[in-house]
Amino acid sequence: MKIFIPLVSFFTLVAAGCGLRAQPSFLAPPPATAPVEDPAMRRDQYLARRMEVLRWRASLATPGDPAKLGLAEIAAKLALREDAEACSAQIVELMKKPAADMFWMFPVTCISYLGRDQLTPAAKTAIREAWRTYYPLRGDTENHWVMYYTTMHLMAQLWPGEGEDRWFNGKTSAEITAESRAWLLHWMELATTVGQGEYDCTHYLGEYSIPMLFLATWAKDPEMKQRGRMMLDWVMADFTVETLNGIYIGSHARTDDTTVLEKWNALSSYFAWQMLGNCPPPAAYGGWGIYFATIADHYDLPEVIYRIGTDRAAAYTHFERKRTRHRWRNSDVRNAPVYKTSYLTKDYALGSDQGGLLQPIQQHSWDLTWAVADPRGMHNTIFSMQPFYGTDELMMYFTEMPDYMPTAVTSQGKPTYIAESKLLGGSPYEQIFQRDDTLISLSDIPDSAPWKQINGFFSKDLAVLEEDASGWLFAQGGQTYIAYRPLAPYEWRPLEKGGKRLLSPHAKNGTILQAAAAAEFKGWEEFKAKIRGLPLEIKLQPTPGVKFTSLRGKKIEVTYGAAPRVDGRVVDYAREWKLFSGPYLNAEVGSGKLSITHGRLKRVLDFKTLTITDAVRP
Amino acid sequence: MPAVAAAELKHDLYVCTNLSGQGSVMGRSGPVLSGLYRSSDRENFEHLGPHHIRTFSLTYDPSDPARLYIALLDGILRTPDRGQTFRIVTSWDMTEAKSISVDAQRPEHVYAGIPDGIAVSHDRGQTWTRMNAGIRRAYTESILVDRTKEGRVLAGTEKGIFLTEDGARTWRLVQATDKVTYSLRQSPHDPKIFFAVTSADGALWSTDRGVTWKRIAGISAERTLHNGEFDPRNAQRLAYCGWGAGVQVSEDGGKTWNDRTVGLPKREVWKVAIDPDLPDRLYAAPYLEPLYVSDDFGRTWRKLQWEKATVFDLVFVPRK
Repeated sequence: MKIFIPLVSFFTLVAAGCGLRAQPSFLAPPPATAPVEDPAMRRDQYLARRMEVLRWRASLATPGDPAKLGLAEIAAKLALREDAEACSAQIVELMKKPAADMFWMFPVTCISYLGRDQLTPAAKTAIREAWRTYYPLRGDTENHWVMYYTTMHLMAQLWPGEGEDRWFNGKTSAEITAESRAWLLHWMELATTVGQGEYDCTHYLGEYSIPMLFLATWAKDPEMKQRGRMMLDWVMADFTVETLNGIYIGSHARTDDTTVLEKWNALSSYFAWQMLGNCPPPAAYGGWGIYFATIADHYDLPEVIYRIGTDRAAAYTHFERKRTRHRWRNSDVRNAPVYKTSYLTKDYALGSDQGGLLQPIQQHSWDLTWAVADPRGMHNTIFSMQPFYGTDELMMYFTEMPDYMPTAVTSQGKPTYIAESKLLGGSPYEQIFQRDDTLISLSDIPDSAPWKQINGFFSKDLAVLEEDASGWLFAQGGQTYIAYRPLAPYEWRPLEKGGKRLLSPHAKNGTILQAAAAAEFKGWEEFKAKIRGLPLEIKLQPTPGVKFTSLRGKKIEVTYGAAPRVDGRVVDYAREWKLFSGPYLNAEVGSGKLSITHGRLKRVLDFKTLTITDAVRP
Repeated sequence: MPAVAAAELKHDLYVCTNLSGQGSVMGRSGPVLSGLYRSSDRENFEHLGPHHIRTFSLTYDPSDPARLYIALLDGILRTPDRGQTFRIVTSWDMTEAKSISVDAQRPEHVYAGIPDGIAVSHDRGQTWTRMNAGIRRAYTESILVDRTKEGRVLAGTEKGIFLTEDGARTWRLVQATDKVTYSLRQSPHDPKIFFAVTSADGALWSTDRGVTWKRIAGISAERTLHNGEFDPRNAQRLAYCGWGAGVQVSEDGGKTWNDRTVGLPKREVWKVAIDPDLPDRLYAAPYLEPLYVSDDFGRTWRKLQWEKATVFDLVFVPRK
């Protein structure tokens, strides 16, 4: 059977959307993905993109209608140095009803600094008073704390020497400075020695990047300024190395129900567009992108990072070690290691973690993403997952009472959490191993699990999908040939957003995926024949296991619950996975020192010495 | 039922509550103020301090009941003046405090249960030190100082009840549990008696100051129990509640239990409390429902306050 799935015109879906005018890059044809060689031109284009964001956001403010002048519009206008009087007047009103906790703190910090020489005394007084009377929550996770403590640090710097009666938390400026500095140093130490906890998030990339740019730009303490700059480089290097034409690929600590299918549609794509210029920006520049844009002119992406994102000579494998979010219960380990593998070519990228319950609710453990000419509206990805939810998961990562949580979570922006058809989330009953562009996922699901099944995502944008008598499913996405092998019988279910779900309702189960570039073969039939000819042994009882010789000639042996083997050698995650390793990024666990290389360029970020060292190989 | 004459009451009722609904998360504004409320007449409630959706519990300094300690998402909040001014007294390294208890024999000593252990202050909360040596799974939901002996503290952790008799320098396991102990109470009538409720081990009873514990017969371990309370006016009366467990009361010192959920909108009851000033008065807080009150110890109920509340704690604080 051969199924041709028609492409849906993205523009027909969004052209009628409001607020899109004046977002030229969002509506324009996709940009070129080749690197811009001239540094001056590259910088000009970077700054032009910044101005596009500012002008669009400022244009949303309707003259004479203060209701259309929110914090983001004010930030844009102050960055453009226009309408300071109107902005000031509106700030006085907005400060009467502060809300949104740390998501209020960083916009207000932004306008406070942008407006130092623009805002009226009344506006400054209103802001000052809000930080005395409004109590923003500190939050319960890494991105919250980064926003909270960065902004606390900067606002205490703005209002130094003030007493405890001047701050919402009853602390003095000096105490706030000390506490925020201590947390930021603690976080940087953790992130640069054992890895980030909320790693590689398609949205929360912004919640790390924006505060670090604030710190790099506005901190007076030269150490904090340097740390902000270095962390921003670190986060950007970590991001760009796992992008395919700007799209954040592979495993994410957190993504969402939209982005897990439409990989481009995320705040991370604003950063790819802003920094690399190689993909369209998401609508409204990802929302929070405006706050980066306000002072993006204070950051110059190092060329070595730019080139990692845009200029790759060959396929490569990139390894990373991250950590889980804090585990409060149901674990003897506070932050368990996460072992990531990503394989990237110009046509596709396969990325994964080792499986298991590494993050709550929004974990995405693996996918194959293929390159497309225009990612807007495209579901250019394929993956499988073991749907799971439970109070034990939530108790592990949250401190709240158990029983109400699963349902409550679905009201908190995670609507599919308890849905059998879910395509987002981790499972304790899934183990994944990847080598090159081959991935094997195994599941051994107990009766106590909510569902004994595997869900596979098959996109509306697959050009071809064939169910082969051999047991393989053969598909093509873009210029990528895909061989997908369900380990147990399956059936199909339609998906509301297009495409279909492979539902394999068996407890002993798994998936094999082998990707390849179409250009490697004379044609489709040759690809299929080669896959059919690859040595493969599958056993499901008593424990799922696979022996598979990959298209690249690797003999991969995996058994659920045991360490994988490649060509007879046992893979030792703890010993082999460094903080980063690959052709571009390298760092030892515990080192705090990241070496970023591309061609002749090299930058070393050393958090032990707080130095940035650039070198060019002759 | 007429409003209670405030002057007759010896305690104020403080409520830690989230009124922002099930969808409330960090970064979203709520239509009404959550956090700490106080009622001086048991009918009218005034909001105190910050709007806060994760205000978990409260206790007071027995030597100065105007000094309140509040366990919340941000750590520990202290007010020296019954909620007129506040200060977060913990730093970045302590988050999501769940419970606090003041040593009645040494009120400058304060103990807090936090997700990664036990925090102790020796200066009325001004500074804190983590002191949970010997507790492997240190998640601590409930903590209680024996009011009769300085430095003697029970902690309800993820895997059991721990006891220290040296001010948290050393801890020993006195009762293993499969999951979290959510509430610890000492009888106001007999300080040797302690009452605990758990997530997966039912309710526990101790008659030797918490050194040994027994499961209370007739209380199922199937449900997560949220809290248990002694009636300060009647030594034979107790109450507990839980998720799916409704409100259960005993009027014979815990030997038998009666379901008193009829009249409440659901059996998922987050908190129950017994009024120290008013005979037969019981409070129950079903999840995302109004706070309910009964004046016949749970036989009939009426709505008292709010529409959709998650009440994390109900605490009676002496006025003097």
